[in-house]
Amino acid sequence: METRTPEFPAAGGAFRGGRSRVGRLARRAAAVTTLVAIPLVASLPVDAVGAVGGGPVTVKGKTLGTAKLLNPVWNDAKDPALHRFTFREPSATVRADLRTLTAFLPKELCVVALVPGDGKANKLPLRVVVAGGRTSPVTLVVAPGQQIQFENQDPFTHKLYVVGADSKGFAATETGTAKSRTWTPPGPGKYEIRDQLAPSVRSWIVVEPHLVNVGYPDRKGDFQIDLDPGAYTLRGYFNGEPVGSELPITVAPVPVEQPLKLPLVVGESDAAPGALGVPPGKPGAPLKRGGGG
Amino acid sequence: MLLTRFWIVLLTLALGASAFTLYVAGQMYNHAGSRAMREALAADSSSVGWYLKDDSRQRASALIRITVNPDVGAGLAKASGDAKIDRDTRGKVKTALSKLVAETPPELADFKFDAVWAVDVNGRVVANVGFEHGEDWELGGYPAVADAIHGWIRDDAWVWKGRIYRIVARPVEREGGEPVGAIIGAKIVDDTFARSVSKRTGAAVGFYADGARVASGAPEGFDNASLDEITSDLKALDTDKNYQEKGRSDVRVLGQHLGVVYARLPGETWDLGAGYAVGHNAVSVGGPFDFLTQADNSDKETVPTKLIVLFVVLVVAVGLGFTFAEHNRPLATFRNEAIRLAKGEIDVLSPSRFRGAYKKIAADLNDGIEKVATKGGAPRRAADLEQVLGPIPAQPQMSAFSVPGGPGSSPIESPTGSGARPLPRPPVSDRGAAPRLRGQVPAAPPSDDGGDLLEVRVSSATPAPRPPPPPKRPAPPAAGAPGAPPVEALAEPEPEPEAPASHAAGDDFDELSDWHRVYEDFVALKRQCGEETGSLTFEKFKGTLQRNKDALVARHSCSRVKFTVYVKEGKAALKASPVK
Repeated sequence: METRTPEFPAAGGAFRGGRSRVGRLARRAAAVTTLVAIPLVASLPVDAVGAVGGGPVTVKGKTLGTAKLLNPVWNDAKDPALHRFTFREPSATVRADLRTLTAFLPKELCVVALVPGDGKANKLPLRVVVAGGRTSPVTLVVAPGQQIQFENQDPFTHKLYVVGADSKGFAATETGTAKSRTWTPPGPGKYEIRDQLAPSVRSWIVVEPHLVNVGYPDRKGDFQIDLDPGAYTLRGYFNGEPVGSELPITVAPVPVEQPLKLPLVVGESDAAPGALGVPPGKPGAPLKRGGGG
Repeated sequence: MLLTRFWIVLLTLALGASAFTLYVAGQMYNHAGSRAMREALAADSSSVGWYLKDDSRQRASALIRITVNPDVGAGLAKASGDAKIDRDTRGKVKTALSKLVAETPPELADFKFDAVWAVDVNGRVVANVGFEHGEDWELGGYPAVADAIHGWIRDDAWVWKGRIYRIVARPVEREGGEPVGAIIGAKIVDDTFARSVSKRTGAAVGFYADGARVASGAPEGFDNASLDEITSDLKALDTDKNYQEKGRSDVRVLGQHLGVVYARLPGETWDLGAGYAVGHNAVSVGGPFDFLTQADNSDKETVPTKLIVLFVVLVVAVGLGFTFAEHNRPLATFRNEAIRLAKGEIDVLSPSRFRGAYKKIAADLNDGIEKVATKGGAPRRAADLEQVLGPIPAQPQMSAFSVPGGPGSSPIESPTGSGARPLPRPPVSDRGAAPRLRGQVPAAPPSDDGGDLLEVRVSSATPAPRPPPPPKRPAPPAAGAPGAPPVEALAEPEPEPEAPASHAAGDDFDELSDWHRVYEDFVALKRQCGEETGSLTFEKFKGTLQRNKDALVARHSCSRVKFTVYVKEGKAALKASPVK
């Protein structure tokens, strides 16, 4: 389980004013990352987009503030008014700090790498597995024109659809066991996917025009993403929304694996900035929720 | 009849009051039954809800022995730390899980699961029992599983393939209180489960999902198939405000007598339209007689049958007594008096001997008899000779008196039993002679030799007929008597013999000689008229005269009958005159 710091303030406050503690931390982390990365690539020719010659480089990083990313489905379900259970009680032998229904990062937090120019969709469909009461991943950020393939790995039928008056070409249709259906989002924006036969299935597809690649962290929040050498901006998406602060980075041609000195802030954290290697006074650009469509 | 009528009115009023009371009682019974049904449905629905909640808790407790198993815990801990679960770990957890499920203690026999899953902290299914699926399957998206992975114990209800799975989830912990996974137990809602619910709650319960009934159970005496009717009613729940907002519908009546309350099942089923319905038959009667059809023996045994039978017998006896006293007895008296009147034992009815309406009837009859007698009797329609005697020749060969077998005669034979009969002699009354019927003459009795008919013109000897005395009794309908010939005049006994064509009567009157003379005169007159006389023998002639004499004697109580011959319309005829 992910380690969390108790007594966090409300998560929503972390994404609203630029003067918040998380915002300052993110801005500092972005500045430090830029300072570290730029010398490494200074001797290389960098085009306007940031792509450089040679193979892709694996960028490894950490996320910060994931403890405040709460799964909306699970947290909604604990409301007695929604009648999702007849009884729900804590296990007396489990520590109280572990009972928070934080997000399952490997499926729900999407780390994206953005470039100033246009991104490019993959030629092959992106695979989204429907199983176990959710999709994998839960939040998916794609470039415009990207085809997505939903595969049903449950032993029963699903009926996925796009929420809203306009189905956007993805109306409720049954998808049998071991069957799949493909869909290409019509344009930039956020699309919420739900299932008529499984209320717990709630997913988000975000079409981001500047996307070049995505990565998902592990349960601890460590992530890695393959990028060509160049300058990028890292951003976290959760529940279809950008969260935390953007992290500008520059990827050098070598070495093949390049760890980031600064974490990608995706939520508010009480951890001391110094402990994470984020120098004080160098905040990154805070994000507002609701972006991306 | 006053008492009888009063009794009938009383009984009718009592019957009407009873019917009214029965209908009112039926309505009250139906209202009470409806109210009882609503209360029973509310209680049953709550009972089922409480039972399901308790059942979930019991099942969650039944998972403890699995979650504390060290093999399961170790396996889940290892799987949680691995990016990919190795087969060895899966195998160990599967073995331990299967053994634990198979060796369920007897005290937990009622809480056995149909499927059990062991999931790691990532939500991946490490091992399962009772539910086959792919190896890399997971359950981590379900709130119940996520809760268990995060240290919560709770229940849920899922709908897979139209079946309801009641879920309980419990964390598996290691030292330090950190969950390493969870155990998920599932119980499929089927007829067995529904019967168990029904057995423990006493309610008829049906579970539904995906718009159809999936399981049902009902106590003995309740038609389980009637719960199928909920399927057709499920769509109507969309407009039931209480069901949508509170999760429990109002009482809905399906068919004629089935009351149903629907309740949404907590869990994911709440949003998927799955739930349970409890049913109860409304006890009602369609009419007063339904009380009898719906009552059982115990109900009927409580009825004071003997008292009711005694009452009925008493009422019937009183009614019959009134009827006998006011109807049968007067009628019998009247009948007896009528018989006496018919026999001539009495001349008139005595109204004082009768009661009620019979007094008036007797008086009216007496008045009627008086008036009929005053008028000389009722006019009678002449008998239809052709109907009685057969075809009559257009030109009778015997003018007024014919003797069968005579030449030129028209032998008229009366049918057997329908020959002309003499009118009975009216009984003698103190009021005078019996009424004589105008235009009627006694007919000759049927002859022994074939029923000869004699048409006799009877002389009216009295020049001025006296007013007829009131008859003692009405004369029998001679016109209706078969074979009776039409009579044109009423014969009146002559006070003294008057024989214009015969010798004077005396004490030494020789009737045979007189009839010989009449025979000779008649034959002679026939010859004079040119009629055939070859077959007219005296014996036949005598027989005919004898029969007519007997009839007239019986009719007029005369001592003898005088026969004279004369010509009528060119033919010989015979006239009979009674002589006193």
